[in-house]
Amino acid sequence: MPRLSDLSLTWYAALPNDRALVGALQQSLMIATITAVLATGMSLLAALAYFELRAQRTAWFLTVILPMFVPGVIQGLALSAVFTRSGIKASSLTVIAGHLLWAMPFAFIVILTSFAAVRRSYLTAAADLGATRWRQFVDITLPLIRPGLISAFIFSFLLSLNEFTRAFYLAGRQNTLPVVLFGKMNSGASPVIYAMSGTIFLVSVACVALASMHFMLRLKLSPAGRALR
Amino acid sequence: MAISIQIDRVSREYGPVKALDDVSLDIKAGEFFTLLGSSGCGKSSLLKLIGGFDRQTSGRVAFDGKDVGDLPANKRPVNTVFQSLALFPHMRVAQNVGYGLRLKGLSGASLDTKINDALDLVELSGFGPRDVNLLSGGQRQRQLARALVMEPGILLLDEPLTGLDERLRQQMRDEFGRLHKRTGATFILVTHNQDEALSLSDRMAVMHKGRIEQVDSPARFFEAPANAFVARFVGIDTLLRPERIVSTGGQTEATVGGQTLQVRTQGTVDTAASIIAIRPDRLFVARQGLPHALTLTVVETTFRGLHRDLKLAFADGQTLVIAIEADTDIGQLSTGQQVPVGLKPDAAVLISSAGLPPAG
Repeated sequence: MPRLSDLSLTWYAALPNDRALVGALQQSLMIATITAVLATGMSLLAALAYFELRAQRTAWFLTVILPMFVPGVIQGLALSAVFTRSGIKASSLTVIAGHLLWAMPFAFIVILTSFAAVRRSYLTAAADLGATRWRQFVDITLPLIRPGLISAFIFSFLLSLNEFTRAFYLAGRQNTLPVVLFGKMNSGASPVIYAMSGTIFLVSVACVALASMHFMLRLKLSPAGRALR
Repeated sequence: MAISIQIDRVSREYGPVKALDDVSLDIKAGEFFTLLGSSGCGKSSLLKLIGGFDRQTSGRVAFDGKDVGDLPANKRPVNTVFQSLALFPHMRVAQNVGYGLRLKGLSGASLDTKINDALDLVELSGFGPRDVNLLSGGQRQRQLARALVMEPGILLLDEPLTGLDERLRQQMRDEFGRLHKRTGATFILVTHNQDEALSLSDRMAVMHKGRIEQVDSPARFFEAPANAFVARFVGIDTLLRPERIVSTGGQTEATVGGQTLQVRTQGTVDTAASIIAIRPDRLFVARQGLPHALTLTVVETTFRGLHRDLKLAFADGQTLVIAIEADTDIGQLSTGQQVPVGLKPDAAVLISSAGLPPAG
């Protein structure tokens, strides 16, 4: 049982020198960013298709969210088999492919929810005033679903950052952070991995605090916010 | 500036349902034209075709004689005031009003001037920087500024007054009339409200089941309804089936329940499919001994506030209703009493019985 006097920042100080962990963190952040960008973009396209479709809506919806229902181990293994068979080497790209499959259904649902703000009559009115389909999208649809896009981006980023099973099967030379942490835990852990977890936790809390402060400030300045009070 | 519209044998079918059935219509440039009908009669379908939001199954829609079938909504010289309002919630009032102009490439001072002029026109001066979501119902209704600022050749009004309280409705109605005079554009109003149609229109069309029953100036609908459906629709509820119709030298007389009355006719008369429409405002309770008066039996009287409804029956059971002033001195009327009824000139018109359910 450690005592209070055992508290120290030694392992935090040792963190930057642990090449394996820092490399894994960089890899994870890079993969999470690319996954988030791609998942948000593709989900936006999928949601637009859903908005335009009428009769085949349900079929399209189920198709897009289907990967959500496949267990991660099976998906990772299956993808790995498919990639090996077709001669594709495991790399960051294969991990991103696996993570896209994992994150896209969630991003799609989040964006679809935000489409509730887009009434068809707004688009008709814009067309009436001379807007082409593209201008309707840029001027009306995009601003209205922006909160959904931001949420979808954050959501897919976090889903990818924390993902273990698919990355375990699909990673190439450089493993992602969860895989590396898991490995270290099994082979007699050095307390550096706890320092890593602690750092990630603190940074996340700081990010959330900054974001809420930013939104509160904006609400205070906007006329809608003034009316709320 | 104003544009004329030619609708030529247009049909719009949704599967087996005909929303519009072979409709032809000419709307003159600068006219205030109203499409009147109950819901589902096809009036909104016709408006969509003019606005370019839908395509007809067959037929031709033309502006100033030029076919616009291939012109999408965003290229037509038409702007619409929508029933659903459809104000862009993420834009301020001024941005909403200026949206169409910005698409046209206008910016800076000339854009601001036009926006302010349009806001002045609908009496919303100074509302530009406001959030549209915070406007009151009546202020939102003035979204027509967004359409007017485009200076369209044709302005479509799709039931713009539904859901407003009575006072606001009248205020906006007057405003439409005023704006029509000021802009000189062709206005097309779709409504199921007769009052709006009658007070605003130069001409109006009564629609029913995808067809146009009659196109005329508002007054003509009362003088000469095209058929029984139109007569009922504009509030001529008294329709009598004649036993006999006799025409002698320009005069036509019809017999109802054994009594003869003078009727006005239009064109050729098909005696088998004709019915007598009687304008309630041209009937009066006569003094005893007036020539040409009908003698009818009182069925009931109903108190209506400013007037009383007197329901009278012919010998064969057909009834008519006369509105009498509450303080008319005709003594006590009891059920079963005989009353002489006089007809002012042109009170009775012989019309087609189309649209009337078969006699039961």
